[in-house]
Amino acid sequence: MNLKCTGFDPEWGMSRRRFLNGFGMGMGAIGLSDLLRTETQAGDVSNVTDGALSGMHHAAKAKRVIFLFQSGGPSQIDLLDHKPHLNKVHGQQLPDSVRQGQRLTGMSGNQSSLPLVGSPFKFAQHGESGQWLSELLPHTAGIADDMCIVNSMYTEAINHGPGVTFIQTGSQFPGRPSMGAWLSYGLGTANQNLPSFVVMVTKNKGGQPLVSRLWGSGFLPAKHQGVRFRSGKDPVLYLNNPEGIDSASRKRMLDALDQLHHLQLEQQPDPQLETRISQYELAFKMQSSVPEVVDVAGESKETLDLYGPDVNKPGSYTANCLLARRLAERGVRFIQLYHPGWDQHGGLPGGLRNQCRETDQASAALVKDLKQRGMLEDTLVVWAGEFGRTNYCQGQLNGNQFGRDHHPRCYSMWMAGGGIKPGTSYGKTDEYGYNIAEDRVHVHDLQATIMHLLGIDHERLTYRHQGRRYRLTDVHGEVVKPILV
Amino acid sequence: MRKASFIVAFYLHCFLSVAFAQQLQKKVDFDRDIRPILSDRCYICHGPDSGAREAELRLDLQEAAFDVIVPGEPEASELVSRILSDDVDEVMPPPESNLSVSAKEKQLISDWIAQGATWKKHWAFEQRSQPDLPTVASVDRVANQIDNFLLSKLESQDLSYSKLASREKLIRRVTFDLTGLPPTLSEIDGFLGDDSPDAFGKLVDRLMRSNHYGQRMASDWMDVARYSDTYGYQVDRDRYVWPWRDWVIRAFNSNMPYDQFVIEQLAGDLLPEATDDQILATTFNRLHPQKVEGGSVEEEFRIEYVVDRTQTFATAFMGLTLECARCHDHKYDPLTQKEYYQLFSYFNNIDESGLYSYFTSSVPTPTLALLNDEQKKQVGVLQSQLEKFAEPKLTGYRGLADAALLDIALKSKGRDPIEMVDFNVVGGRNTKTTDHRGRPAAKLTGDDAIALKTGDFKRHAPFSVSLSLNTPDLKQRAVVFHRSRAWTDAGSRGYQLLIEDGKLSASLIHFWPGNAISVKTRQVIPVKRWVDIAVTYDGSISAKGISIFIDGKRADVDVVKDKLTKNITGGGGNTIAIGARFRDRGFTNGEVASFEVFDRQLSDLEVGLKHDEEQVVNALQQLQSAAEMSDAVRSMLVQHLTLNVSDEHDGYRKQLASTRAQLCNVLDRATEIMVMRELPQTKDSFVLQRGEYNHRLEQVNAATPAVLPAMNEALPNNRLGLAKWMTDPNHPLTARVAVNHYWQLIFGDGIVRTPEDFGRQGALPTHPQLLDWLANDFVAHGWDVKRLLKQMVMSTAYRQSSVVSEELLKIDPDNELLARAPSYRWPAEMLRDNVLAASGLLVDEMGGPPVKPYELAASFKPSTPDKGEGLYRRSLYTYWKRTGPAPVMMALDAAKRDVCRVKRERTSSPLQALAMLNGPQFVEAGRALSQRLLTQHGSEAEDAIANDMFRILTSRQPSKQETEVIRSLYSAQYDHFLAHPQAVQEYLSNGQFGDYAKSGIELRLPRNQHDFRLGSAPNGQERFAGEFGRASVFNVPFSESEVKSLASVPRDQVFAGDLKPALSSSLPPAGEPEKFEKTADLEFSKGLTLEAWVKPTAAGAGRIWDKITPGKADGLLLDLYGGLRFICGDRVIMADRAPVTGQWTHVVSTADFKSGQIRFYLNGEAAGGVIPNPNAMSNESLASIAAWASVANMLINHDECVTKR
Repeated sequence: MNLKCTGFDPEWGMSRRRFLNGFGMGMGAIGLSDLLRTETQAGDVSNVTDGALSGMHHAAKAKRVIFLFQSGGPSQIDLLDHKPHLNKVHGQQLPDSVRQGQRLTGMSGNQSSLPLVGSPFKFAQHGESGQWLSELLPHTAGIADDMCIVNSMYTEAINHGPGVTFIQTGSQFPGRPSMGAWLSYGLGTANQNLPSFVVMVTKNKGGQPLVSRLWGSGFLPAKHQGVRFRSGKDPVLYLNNPEGIDSASRKRMLDALDQLHHLQLEQQPDPQLETRISQYELAFKMQSSVPEVVDVAGESKETLDLYGPDVNKPGSYTANCLLARRLAERGVRFIQLYHPGWDQHGGLPGGLRNQCRETDQASAALVKDLKQRGMLEDTLVVWAGEFGRTNYCQGQLNGNQFGRDHHPRCYSMWMAGGGIKPGTSYGKTDEYGYNIAEDRVHVHDLQATIMHLLGIDHERLTYRHQGRRYRLTDVHGEVVKPILV
Repeated sequence: MRKASFIVAFYLHCFLSVAFAQQLQKKVDFDRDIRPILSDRCYICHGPDSGAREAELRLDLQEAAFDVIVPGEPEASELVSRILSDDVDEVMPPPESNLSVSAKEKQLISDWIAQGATWKKHWAFEQRSQPDLPTVASVDRVANQIDNFLLSKLESQDLSYSKLASREKLIRRVTFDLTGLPPTLSEIDGFLGDDSPDAFGKLVDRLMRSNHYGQRMASDWMDVARYSDTYGYQVDRDRYVWPWRDWVIRAFNSNMPYDQFVIEQLAGDLLPEATDDQILATTFNRLHPQKVEGGSVEEEFRIEYVVDRTQTFATAFMGLTLECARCHDHKYDPLTQKEYYQLFSYFNNIDESGLYSYFTSSVPTPTLALLNDEQKKQVGVLQSQLEKFAEPKLTGYRGLADAALLDIALKSKGRDPIEMVDFNVVGGRNTKTTDHRGRPAAKLTGDDAIALKTGDFKRHAPFSVSLSLNTPDLKQRAVVFHRSRAWTDAGSRGYQLLIEDGKLSASLIHFWPGNAISVKTRQVIPVKRWVDIAVTYDGSISAKGISIFIDGKRADVDVVKDKLTKNITGGGGNTIAIGARFRDRGFTNGEVASFEVFDRQLSDLEVGLKHDEEQVVNALQQLQSAAEMSDAVRSMLVQHLTLNVSDEHDGYRKQLASTRAQLCNVLDRATEIMVMRELPQTKDSFVLQRGEYNHRLEQVNAATPAVLPAMNEALPNNRLGLAKWMTDPNHPLTARVAVNHYWQLIFGDGIVRTPEDFGRQGALPTHPQLLDWLANDFVAHGWDVKRLLKQMVMSTAYRQSSVVSEELLKIDPDNELLARAPSYRWPAEMLRDNVLAASGLLVDEMGGPPVKPYELAASFKPSTPDKGEGLYRRSLYTYWKRTGPAPVMMALDAAKRDVCRVKRERTSSPLQALAMLNGPQFVEAGRALSQRLLTQHGSEAEDAIANDMFRILTSRQPSKQETEVIRSLYSAQYDHFLAHPQAVQEYLSNGQFGDYAKSGIELRLPRNQHDFRLGSAPNGQERFAGEFGRASVFNVPFSESEVKSLASVPRDQVFAGDLKPALSSSLPPAGEPEKFEKTADLEFSKGLTLEAWVKPTAAGAGRIWDKITPGKADGLLLDLYGGLRFICGDRVIMADRAPVTGQWTHVVSTADFKSGQIRFYLNGEAAGGVIPNPNAMSNESLASIAAWASVANMLINHDECVTKR
């Protein structure tokens, strides 16, 4: 048994090239073959037959993913899942035949009455595909023919913490690697000077708290954890030189460091030290490559207008969407946006309108922009939250102040590009929008599908930890084939 | 697996013919070569998990496996035929498993069977062997027994140890390993200069005696314990657990035996007459993440906590990967799902909630109140007072005839209710007012509470509530009334009357369930009719003080909870609310009427009268006229009178209440910490289907796994028994796991390189005999951790050079053989502590609340960094927030501390370089080091600065070429900064320390542990030769005129000015060195003045005042070195003149921290000093500081500064 199986890379034997590949800074698909080769060398051939497999498990449709995570649980009933029947039974109690004794959260679970609420928003069909969309999403309506709406998502988690953790890591409880970390581990990146997994969180947005482990690497090596890009002068932690050190000073300091390291290297060959030398070279390169990517001065007016007025507001969802495209262009493998604030337990109509105002145009613009640049076909865009919302009212059903509680039994999301069948919808809920009627898609199925599009068999990208193999999808997950091109 | 055997012979022939002959000679080892394949590829379907077992075949037990293995005959073994098959329906493992066996492994299996298929049980579950010491050829390289084992293995492969590391490398290595800090220059010099044969041993002993040792060891243990200063999950509030961290430091520093260390943390609360410290140790079990998110299911998370405790116990102490068995029998190791829940049961038995309180700051129960000595004394006094309180005899009513008694009782009325609810006026959204006996009543929705104006009673205050209610059905749970902000979201703080399973329960609660008093009626209340209810409370803070009355009669109750130690007020919801509570189940469709609140305890008689006055009065009168009143009735009347009429009792009650209030006040102020406290009654534990909290299967009792030795029957079957079972000298796992853990701490990797997994999927020990020998020796010597560590670092293996040849790198890339010393980057904490120590910024104090260094401002959940000292404490004191841990520490691979981790990853990324090049802590430290060396050597001494800087950061002398690189960077940077004064200002403004650029030279005096001394250094050296007169220390800087008046007071008289000395020596005849006890903590916030009358009899370096670590600039020193010298923090200043030998001289030095001014006075006259003026500082001086700072910032990133070599 070799220690490599356990996931602790010894620094010994780490060649410079392996370093480049291994730290989320590598040369594209070399990542996976490198990984597989490493396992083979280690005598662990369980993931591959004798030296046969190098590269992807199958041909990849997508090279990268932009995951627009809508945190808090957007109300599918008011956005994507058109339920006219609900308007007819508005105000009536949720029938027991529909509820079927399923657990509710502690927030509305002890409520004496559960009155149904129809959506106050108008739905209409859009595009040649005739997809139903709410009036709250006028721009998204413009990409109706590019997207696949899934109305039959479901999860087991009933609260935000476990829910977000589940969709990001495949487990409701903390400790597992996130999806981006898995992909960084499997695929590396196509740009040496940027991380393979970048995270951006909308700035100054209240809502349910997010936690850094959502983009953590769990038991995978820490190098695979998401690198958060912040708005402001230090997009990456301590990217900038300290006050008073200009780039010439920095260069002199690094040159001196390099000289000392080479003096040391002359004493004896040392791959560990070589790794260290390249680490500082890369850091220096990142100091220019990162500011370049976050500087949108070169974007055309048309592009900026496409995303909308907030594009000039650093840290806004809109600005982050544009940054996502720029990162995607530069080979970042997994770009994760978080936009909190979708947790409308009360005051839903106003709250939801506001959320859509902040996100609708930019989400659609991202898809259009990618399409114009010919990048949509190999970029998978995912728009989803951690669960849906109830068809019944939380608290008092009182005009426009009603709210909806968490609902894990069914919810909606959409995807576009990267091998997803455009202009389609998949899955149906019952007429109450409470249970799934057709084609259930579990969170693990979504994860399996995303990995499939990237050329990875989700059952075969595994990592050995604490005596067993782990994977993103635990022991579950089926690729949702009908929504693939 | 029966058919297809016939093709085997042919196939085997083809397959094996080539390789077989060559390979057969090599002996296949079952443990090393075969079990890993079987375990990894076969056990998922043919292993210990009966639920997943296919074809009733198991390959984890010899007998069963030999169904498909014929020893000596691979051709006849179905195991072989199946793994060789190319038929997709036949081949094992099946293709859909994504598992396969390589050609080499197939060969190994065949060879092993051909060689007789020797089967062994898994080593880790077997008793330790008693290995003999192997003999070695190079006896000169054996320092202790460890070397016998390592070297004999090396020699068997024609290898040997590398040469010894240089002494400089060695002291750096061992100082970091044992204290987590770098050696100082004087420590290095001391070691280099010590040519005694035991120099290294003495060094090791010194390091282990240092308090830094405990800090280093605790820092490591905090990963294992998943220590965090916040609760974790999503909301992630702060929690108070750091006293446990300090307990760990103390435990290591006092070298607590490992078995005791384990027992106290697992079960200190169960030890006989457990001390507070032993109970505090059990906080270990409560350090898992905890949940508060609204709407969560309480039981779901409570189960999660128990699971975490169980798994942490297994991983940390026994190297077992228990997690698998939560959902099903373990796939690889002989641990069943049932056994998992049997272990779980040991950790299930505390009175805890799955959610902590959102609306209050209650500490989740069970807790330990951390009382200081004063508080303990107060509690003791008040408790004994309470015990002595005796209820006064009813003198006033003694001898009264029944008739008279009844008459007085019926006439005497207590105070009126403080609130009566008018249900005509109240009524919420759906609350319809109804009618009860002609009085208004409310019908409740269950969602809308009726709020009252009163009810904020303290726990020592008697109160009562009476009401009528009508429940439409038998409620499983319904809130009748309460005073609280919420249910689980407030830990139910307050008090409440509930219907539970149709019964009434009344409770006073600080935090449910562990800190409350609660009673519940035995009888179910009637449904669909009006019932009169009263709840009375006597202020006694015990369950027996709560009474529930149903229809005027005292109801029989069971005590549910009887421990209330903290307040029931605060947290919001300060008045009574009827019928509903936040996120709780309300009294849906229930009716209430006649709701009254009393600020006193109602008597039984009053309650009876309220229910039916006529009937009660009649009954009493009849009784009285019939005959003597029964004792029961008489005592009821007496109770009524004592509660309402008696003056004697009034005084008694007031006194009692006031004493109780005082006690409550003391207890309410005491801080609490989460600990373990075993419930007297065992909580039921169940096997949970797929580990889910709500899918209970069979009930289980606590028991240890069958694969391990049984528990001694004399032990109690609880956590304490479990801890003692585990630390039994013969337990196969505990000592091996411990020894392996410490080996990893010293050598970077364990002898078992999967310290988290000693099971079948884990790595085999690289040196199994050494592991057993060390474990035996460890146990035989009383689990002595310091001794064990000393053994390791004294070995030749540890003292080798880490330089490796290309050949050796090829032979042993992972250094499993230890033919060289291991080399790896130091852990995150050490990298930061290193620059703090090197720069002199380190605030070297023990323990206390967590601190917030600069990097927390850049965390995902930013906190405001501390001002001053908190920035410079050792990293184990850094505030740890689970949802946004310290970002530099994370970049440098610190554990996240969500779950127990016994090993850290070591990765390398450019983000680490950025953190160490640009992170404010590192930038500031570079500057501080530059300032420190410039002050010490003066800006002319470039060689000395370059040399010291390199040595401080790498512990070795730079080579000529290296010095050249440093000098040339310095001069380039100096030129640059001289040309860019603005850049100098900016660069020198990084960090809070000694802000040259902004406000002149601010002084900072580091705190140290030394007491003040007069006349000598702490070690008795540097004696002052001569006499002393009056000598004093003031904690303010004197002005020149104040010094003059000080000097005018003769040496044998007390100074009687307004400014009082912080300490003053005894007056003559003195002259002997003097030590001032307990002066280590003297506060100097503004500055200080040192005064002494001295008459030196010889020139020399004699000390006057001394409060400093020899060789360090960490305190204060006034001496005659080189004339008259004053060291204050990092400043070393010489006076213009010195006292004349043989003459009495009044010597004064002052330091003003704000302005940075340091002055000397002799006999009241100014004698020089430093009067800095930032504007007067030359550009050259500033450029020099900045240039050296950039050199230091570069060197901080040098490989030899950050890597163990």
